[in-house]
Amino acid sequence: MRPLPAFLGVFTLLAAAPALAGTDYPLALDNCGVSLSLPAAPKRVVAIRSTSTEMLLALGLGERIVGVAFQDGLAPEPWTAQSAALPVLSEKLPSPEVVLEAEPDLVYAGWESNFSIEGVGERATLGALGVATYVSPAACRSIVPPKLSFEAVFAEIAEVGAMFDVEDAAKALVAEQRAELAGITPDRRGLTALWYSSGGKAPYVGAGRNAPQMMLEALGLENIFADVDDGWISASWEAVVDADPDIIVLVDGERNSVAQKKALLAENPITSQLDAVMHQRYLVVPFAAAEAGVSNVPATRDMAAQLAGLSITP
Amino acid sequence: MNPPRLRLIVPALVVVLLASIVLAVTLGPADIAPMEVWQTIGHRLGLVAESPVGRLREAIIWELRLPRLLVAAATGAGLALCGAVLQALTRNPLADPYLLGLSSGASLGAVIFLLAGATLLMPLGAFLGAAAAMALTLLVTQLLGGVTPSRAILAGISISALAAAGTSLLIFWAVTADSYREILSWLMGSLGGVVWGEALPVLAGVTVLGGLLLISGRALDAFAFGETAAASLGVDVTRLRWLLLGGTALLTGILVSIGGAIGFVGLVVPHIVRLATGSRHRLLLPVSMLVGAIFMVWTDTAARSLFAPRELPVGILTALVGAPIFLLVLFRYRRIT
Amino acid sequence: MSGGLDIAGMSVRAGGRLLLDRVDFTAARGAVTGLIGPNGAGKSTLMRAFLGLMPKVEGRVCFNGADLLAMPGRTRAQLAAFVEQSGSTDARLTARDVVLLGRIPFQSLWQSGPSPEDARIAWEALDAVAMGDFAGRLYHTLSGGEQQRVQIARALAQQPQLLVLDEPTNHLDIQAQLATLTLLRRLAAAGATVVVALHDLNLAAGFCDHLVVLNAARLAAAGPPESVLTPALLRDIYQVEAVVLTHPQTGRPMLAYGSPTISAVPPQ
Repeated sequence: MRPLPAFLGVFTLLAAAPALAGTDYPLALDNCGVSLSLPAAPKRVVAIRSTSTEMLLALGLGERIVGVAFQDGLAPEPWTAQSAALPVLSEKLPSPEVVLEAEPDLVYAGWESNFSIEGVGERATLGALGVATYVSPAACRSIVPPKLSFEAVFAEIAEVGAMFDVEDAAKALVAEQRAELAGITPDRRGLTALWYSSGGKAPYVGAGRNAPQMMLEALGLENIFADVDDGWISASWEAVVDADPDIIVLVDGERNSVAQKKALLAENPITSQLDAVMHQRYLVVPFAAAEAGVSNVPATRDMAAQLAGLSITP
Repeated sequence: MNPPRLRLIVPALVVVLLASIVLAVTLGPADIAPMEVWQTIGHRLGLVAESPVGRLREAIIWELRLPRLLVAAATGAGLALCGAVLQALTRNPLADPYLLGLSSGASLGAVIFLLAGATLLMPLGAFLGAAAAMALTLLVTQLLGGVTPSRAILAGISISALAAAGTSLLIFWAVTADSYREILSWLMGSLGGVVWGEALPVLAGVTVLGGLLLISGRALDAFAFGETAAASLGVDVTRLRWLLLGGTALLTGILVSIGGAIGFVGLVVPHIVRLATGSRHRLLLPVSMLVGAIFMVWTDTAARSLFAPRELPVGILTALVGAPIFLLVLFRYRRIT
Repeated sequence: MSGGLDIAGMSVRAGGRLLLDRVDFTAARGAVTGLIGPNGAGKSTLMRAFLGLMPKVEGRVCFNGADLLAMPGRTRAQLAAFVEQSGSTDARLTARDVVLLGRIPFQSLWQSGPSPEDARIAWEALDAVAMGDFAGRLYHTLSGGEQQRVQIARALAQQPQLLVLDEPTNHLDIQAQLATLTLLRRLAAAGATVVVALHDLNLAAGFCDHLVVLNAARLAAAGPPESVLTPALLRDIYQVEAVVLTHPQTGRPMLAYGSPTISAVPPQ
């Protein structure tokens, strides 16, 4: 089993943390199969994708962000105002030059693919220039991360806390989220759900390995694509209609809003036949909360409240 | 090849096409018995008063599989027809909607309309793009000194590259995590999620334009020895060329607007068919249409079933199957000549 | 004159250059008219021009009393057939398919295929050029001479009143050359107007009733072979020395070429 060593690592880290006064630098880390060594806590960070920005803000590291790029929108409360003040390097993926101009000592990316020649630059190239790189472990592609769990999300919080020498803040955040998660009662009605991210012709949906599955499990909902061993897939509408989910989770993107998705589902002669569409049984999740990060737990709690409000007669 | 056997080829292929549709409609990610499929279709056509098939299973058959199958057949027929016509018109065996820039132009037009938010007008955008690419290709060809096989293709390749670069640029500008995936699947060619509202214009377009191209395309026989020879046989070369190019641009535009850029069908199918029928367009054109339709029905059925519940863009499959077949055809030609 | 082709003031311009300069000539019905002249004189251009196959043509073309350039292409194709110099194709057509192309001007748009009548005419045309045995062969697998004969058969299938051929004896061996020209004479005798561009002057002298000589885009001479083919004209136009003899059997003119370097009488 792959997950075990990772979990052991997390527990060692968590267990070891109280014994130490702080992080010992240089700090060696394995991140998506790349070993990196931090000589000191990063002071100038560029955050690519919203999950990275939110993680840093949640750990009280907003002061160290020298630039953000490729954001899905502003961070949720209570960091909205703070995120609005951050310098935006680029709406899309920035080029290496734009990133280097901000003189970061760390680039923290939400997707491993952000580090490419077409994007921010290769990790090795940036490393040679003295810029450390870090990818949200759940988004690793070059090594296959274990099926995502909340423990893995908490491990990322702890790891980032260690990197920045803010372990107390990380511990507090994990404790808070753990408590919040414990307060969520899974639905016991045996309902099925479709996690609908985007797409008209072939819907892009949450499958069995990543944040969608993790959150649906916490909600007590059975993902109709739980058996597909992938994070997200382009599914066929026929498979969706065949499964006829009780509930549809709509991902609220800036460009691809919930209102648009509802309209599309209601107008389409196929999807309009679905029970969930006919009875308007939707749960809404913010775009950034649909990927592993600090927003997963609050979003799950929020969805649990939405779910409790839906009356469903099978 | 003796004439009586050839005379039977069209009715025989019609039967194969109908049988393919009848069989393919029972296949798909959802496990639905053939009997249920027939009950549903009978019910929807008013042949059966009561159907025991549930509402959603009926929707899968009637709203998902049937329109998609018909569009697949129409797309295959249309692309193969366009390819056969363009190959004759330019006297270049490599001509197809792809190489003459039509597909890239249509893609560019459709992406412009898609990003502008005019999703419903995408077919118009695709047509305008196809027509513009065709006009540019012809203009360049004329400036080079008139239509010859190599000029048409060289001009088409450059226009195609230009349009593809334009599309890439637009995607680069407008890319978001969401819309990129949508555009990408469309650029690879996919018939996923086709509904009756889209199927009917495609079917009408292929019927009307296909009929027009079938009838006027028969004069293409006269082009076997070039334009002067065609003119000496009484063909109004200029008028016919515009008619056929306009017709193929319009048809490609309609097809690309729904299915995206599905490659290799227009190139490969006429070549396979020519091995059996020869270059007589009276036979080549209808047979190409039928073979194209059958080919697409099965590749699209594979695209939606092979990796269920995942949806594979059918363009990947047509290239995967088409390219080796094309090579086989090339070797077969070499043996004959 | 009793019908035939009558061309007056034919000029063709391309890119500011005159390809034809006010050419007049006639080709009588029932006769074979030969079009001769050096390479580049404008023979091919002239044929395309009076058949209405070129844009920007000035001049008047009258055939059997009708304006050939003014009539629709289809009507013209029912009257006049053209055999180009080299007919090559990548198309997969049998010899019979190629001959059937000649029936296109007679077929309606809605016709589903060649009629039995078309098929019969095609067979007759193939037989006329002795290619009946090759009907099922793919055109591009035939030799150059065989292809040329198939092209002539295609033109015959148009049952033309005006038959125009550009160098039809190219690629043919001597037996086929003579057979082809004999066939043209037979067609003329049956009432057709035949215009044929030839570069072999002995063939032109032996088979044509009337010769039209083009040189540098202009008409240089016209008339019966014996009055046109003079040593002076050959020296003027072709820059060759020749003796005009008389064929011992036919009585037609024959040319024996001389050359300054291979003279029978050694220079002093």
